[in-house]
Amino acid sequence: MYNQRPAPVFLDLFRIRFPAGAITSIAHRAAGVLLFLALPFLVYLLDLSLQGPEGFARAGTLLQSWWMRPVSVVLVWSLLHHLLAGVRFLLIDVDVGAHLQPARASARVVNILGIALALAYAGWIV
Amino acid sequence: MTQPVHGLRPWLLQRVSALYLAGFALYLAGHFLLQPRHGFETWQAWLGHPLMRLAGSGFILALVVHSWIGIRDIILDYAAGAGWRLLLLTLVGLVLAGCGLWALRVLLLAVG
Repeated sequence: MYNQRPAPVFLDLFRIRFPAGAITSIAHRAAGVLLFLALPFLVYLLDLSLQGPEGFARAGTLLQSWWMRPVSVVLVWSLLHHLLAGVRFLLIDVDVGAHLQPARASARVVNILGIALALAYAGWIV
Repeated sequence: MTQPVHGLRPWLLQRVSALYLAGFALYLAGHFLLQPRHGFETWQAWLGHPLMRLAGSGFILALVVHSWIGIRDIILDYAAGAGWRLLLLTLVGLVLAGCGLWALRVLLLAVG
């Protein structure tokens, strides 16, 4: 059963510490939720793209529409961050880079690399 | 269902499915880097290849399992109250089952 105790009193979001690893972790969750929310649309695109040449062309037009470009950048970031952070968590599971210093360093690498690659993708589709 | 409540099986399933998804994602990334532009015929031939149907079905299955465990964990972490949990878990289960079956139908029946 879930916890019935009152929430901690000292829970000021501007005063609690949020180190790199915490950002990696919460962003991994947020990215996973975004990918889940995008699933129905992605399956729809796959379906449309295989309904003959017209459907394929319409799927391409949809992907390149003005509203889909920023959405696709967010989704590409979600996928990259989720994948990179996931690989990091798997390595930590098998005790690779599990100590504080390497774990902090890898968290920073994951946080920055996800954003950098997503920005590169954004530059590529503009 | 007399087993004690434990989380080892979902924990392990989450990681096994993650490995498959990561491998498949690398294959997809490599494919699109080597061949960024598709026409309908090459697109259909690529997705309709028997090996792709097999590996792609595995991908869909792994994605459904992985998403279910991940979203389930988030709901159990943040949603308090049995009613909320049941409602959210049911919705997520329906969406995932629907998306999984739809994608399998597209990959196995609609191609070629």
